[in-house]
Amino acid sequence: MTHSKTSSIDLATRWLVLGLLALYTVYNVGPIFWLLLSSFKGRMDFFTMPPKLFFTPDLSGYQAVFGVGAAKDSASAVGVFDSLVNSVIVSVAGTSLAVFFGTLAGYVCSRFNFIGKGDFMFFVLSTRMLPPVAVLVFYHLMFARLGLADTRTGLVLVSIFANVGLATWIMKGFFDGVPKEVEQIAIVNGYTRMYAFLKLVLPMVKGGIAATAGFCFIFAWNEFAFASILTTTQAKTLPVKISAASGATGIEWTQICAAGVVLIIPVLIFFYLIRKHLLMGMTFGVLGRR
Amino acid sequence: MAGTANSLNPESQAAAHAARQTELRKRSSGRLMIFGFLSPTLAILLFMVAYPIFSLIYYSFFNFSALRQATMKPVGFNNYKFLLSDPDLWERFIFTGKFVFICVTLQMLIGIFVGYQMQKNFRGRDVIFTLLMMPMMLSPVVVGFLWRYMLNSEWGVINFLVSSAGFAKVDWLGQTNPALWAAAAADTWMWTPFIVLLATAAFRGIPETIYEAAEVDGASPAYRFFRITLPMSAPVLFIALILRLIDSFKQYDLFVALTGGGPGSSTETVSFSVAKTAFSYFYTGEASALAVILLVIIIGLSMILVRHLTKMGEKY
Repeated sequence: MTHSKTSSIDLATRWLVLGLLALYTVYNVGPIFWLLLSSFKGRMDFFTMPPKLFFTPDLSGYQAVFGVGAAKDSASAVGVFDSLVNSVIVSVAGTSLAVFFGTLAGYVCSRFNFIGKGDFMFFVLSTRMLPPVAVLVFYHLMFARLGLADTRTGLVLVSIFANVGLATWIMKGFFDGVPKEVEQIAIVNGYTRMYAFLKLVLPMVKGGIAATAGFCFIFAWNEFAFASILTTTQAKTLPVKISAASGATGIEWTQICAAGVVLIIPVLIFFYLIRKHLLMGMTFGVLGRR
Repeated sequence: MAGTANSLNPESQAAAHAARQTELRKRSSGRLMIFGFLSPTLAILLFMVAYPIFSLIYYSFFNFSALRQATMKPVGFNNYKFLLSDPDLWERFIFTGKFVFICVTLQMLIGIFVGYQMQKNFRGRDVIFTLLMMPMMLSPVVVGFLWRYMLNSEWGVINFLVSSAGFAKVDWLGQTNPALWAAAAADTWMWTPFIVLLATAAFRGIPETIYEAAEVDGASPAYRFFRITLPMSAPVLFIALILRLIDSFKQYDLFVALTGGGPGSSTETVSFSVAKTAFSYFYTGEASALAVILLVIIIGLSMILVRHLTKMGEKY
């Protein structure tokens, strides 16, 4: 008797758990579905009540983002494609340099003990925690004085600084996973440390470098605060451009949704490619290394 | 005695000398490597972080506007005094605190719950897991606009669902409290996957043998969860908690796109307030002081995090 009672409670719990999970899935996936659907809605279908699930797809949002077709010449589409180009240039350049510097620093932090190492590591990571608006108060002045305001060079600089700390910590995590004996044996055999680093250790963390680049790219690609304050016309990135996507009839929702979809595609690809290292990237290389 | 005899032998002396030379060369090449490898990172961080922060502290003692850079009047601690006695600023802090509390609580609870379910192996797990991670991949500004669009009181899909369920439409973004909850819902939507990711990994890292031992002792599922799963994954969950605390405390992008700080200035976070003071009013001195206050809080939280991370890094 007790047995049947517990099992009915179990069953109820199970259904409750499933129900809550289903609810969460709707909450989680619903908005993404809505974003995708809305990116194909033209102005006529956008504001209807009840909202339409079936309609003739309108590609004007995507045409504006990629600078093709009829919609590229509309007033609200001016400069949107340029901002996509800016986004690509800034994120790729910023990511490459941040990963390059971070790999070097991460190797040293993994292999050597030096005075102030703990402080250096804290300083490096704290840059990732920094509220962008705080430093922006001064960047605003500094960039104007150095002639970096509204330039891609300026944004690349910001992108390096914003990601190099993360890259250093993640790469340290990957280097920690390589046995120290690799260099020791190389040195005993008469090779230099530099040779051991370049020819032996570096190839062993190739996957790690790719994963680090993936992470830095995602952050650089989605960055908004810095780019929104430090650009005015020429160097706007896509997230900044769409936040100002107001036409004669108010906010260009179709364009914003299309840009949102376009922005998520490379991130989705990178997420998939680095899925094994996701945990490591999210915990600064501390967890999830094997 | 043998040592002395050996050192008198010229051949072995030369060998020892050579060994010392190699040792020295190795050490100095190590030093060169440390210096060479760290300097680019250090240089860019000094230029982009240390220099701006020191400048902020310096400007925070001046009555200064970026628009009129010629006039700079030293005012001592007046900027800080003014800010700390300004009831508006306290409201920003209270709002930010409420927002952080709601977000972090919801995200941790939902994240741990979903993570606990996702640790099991089932068919299609990888696909579902990737789908669940998607909100985190979006740019915060896109998230803000997406929710603003869905929450529109006239033609938003959420009010459509609300009114189909028989309730009156809610003016989500036009009133203070609904706007707070709307922002929390958007932030929770975006960042719960992050907790799910960390929690799942933490839960899967617990050795099966511990559960088996508990099974033998006849432990209930609740006991298993509260006495084994939670304590054993606490260090990882703590990292997740602190990271979310820091990130939601400095939240800015989301509010720019979702509420624009409105209605009035009721949904302005501290970060938002810094930006408004600096880039709308151009009270640069005052904004610097506020930025310094914000930095102190964030650096305090970061120190807790880093100490914890370093400890974990040694353990794993």
